[in-house]
Amino acid sequence: MYHYNKKGLKRGIAVYSYSAEYGLTKNLEDLFAEIQDMGAHGIEILANTHIDGYPYPSQEWVDNWFRLCDEYEVEPAEYGHWIDSHALKGRELTTEESVEMLKRDIRLAHRLGFHVMRTKMPVINEKLEPVTNWREIIKGVLPLAEKLGMVMCPEIHNPSNLKGEMVQQYVDFIKETGTKNFGLNIDFSVFRTEFKEGEWRDPLYVPNKPEDIIPLLPYVYCCHAKFINMNDNFEETTMPYPEIIRVLQDNNWDGYLLSEYEGPDKYDEGYEVGQTLRKHHILLKNLIGD
Amino acid sequence: MDRQVIQSTGFHNIKDEEGKVVGFTFRVRLPYYRGIYLSQLRPGSCFVDGEKFTKDEITWVFNGEEYTWQELAEDFHTHWVPNVCAAIRVKKEGGLAQGFHDIKYGYSFESSYMPPMMESDEALNPDAESPIFMPEFGHHVNERRLLIV
Repeated sequence: MYHYNKKGLKRGIAVYSYSAEYGLTKNLEDLFAEIQDMGAHGIEILANTHIDGYPYPSQEWVDNWFRLCDEYEVEPAEYGHWIDSHALKGRELTTEESVEMLKRDIRLAHRLGFHVMRTKMPVINEKLEPVTNWREIIKGVLPLAEKLGMVMCPEIHNPSNLKGEMVQQYVDFIKETGTKNFGLNIDFSVFRTEFKEGEWRDPLYVPNKPEDIIPLLPYVYCCHAKFINMNDNFEETTMPYPEIIRVLQDNNWDGYLLSEYEGPDKYDEGYEVGQTLRKHHILLKNLIGD
Repeated sequence: MDRQVIQSTGFHNIKDEEGKVVGFTFRVRLPYYRGIYLSQLRPGSCFVDGEKFTKDEITWVFNGEEYTWQELAEDFHTHWVPNVCAAIRVKKEGGLAQGFHDIKYGYSFESSYMPPMMESDEALNPDAESPIFMPEFGHHVNERRLLIV
């Protein structure tokens, strides 16, 4: 399988960004071709979206997946998935049922060549805190994750704060268990400082400074390079990109920056998210130098 | 696959084994950025030219397997991806006449990871729009005017 043999910051794409086009005007191979055009080498898929026949794809589909990785020189960077403990209306899934669901995803991610998973846990309140048995669910799969070399990473996203209680709970869990199979995906939305006049801003949100990520870096296996607004000089106008990238480089962080665009305008008729992503990759290429 | 939720292909009458027309069928896509388990679906009512069909008269077909709404509600193993359509089958003796028909169908889905407020019965009412519209979750109620040959 193709492997991009480079240490440090690497560019990739969260193909969730193409949600308004996937299945209608673009198929999976088109998304790989887009990534190659941008000179990026990592892909994040959403398992529930981009794997035909999920959670039991055919061997033919899996063979084609590896053909795409080789042909377009793209490596599996992050496997996005959910622990859907709220899938039933009447009751929450038991810890055992959630563990089985999660094990199935770990095995599938491994089968497709991934090492990092973006693990989304069900939410129980407006503060976006996870289900109360999340520790038991994760502990139930740690031996399998260790055996298959997989690390599960909840995403830390605005309005969460890098110095907040939820992140502290995850870090405490990592320290208590000593595990190397549970970590964090930091979404750059936590660094956002600029909002348009009148734009909705979560009252709980307090921006982080780029250096706030430093103590967490040993547990960060992937970043969502979120961007909100790219201007025509290829600058991101809502968050301090040059400083964020410098902090990661100065601290020798090694991993993928996965571009993720979630602006609702991508659903507008005629909108081409591929062009928006290319603008972002001009910025990243200029900052990273690769 | 059409951008509209109700698809232009797959709209026709259905016959039983003896050749009697027992209803009609049309196809829908999932207007969501990720796939769901069948138990996450909340099927609502269908209206054709103003005639109402309740969820008891409607079944869903995935991969050739037919499900009642009660069967959907229990199945958290079978999964539906957004780039594949499902067929909706509606019971109606004699089916629909040749020509134009106005189809309106409502269904919603639980997204499993949203805050409780967004997952309430009121927010997920398949026959009414969600209080907050998010393009990547689509509309609950969709309409289309289509021909039967």
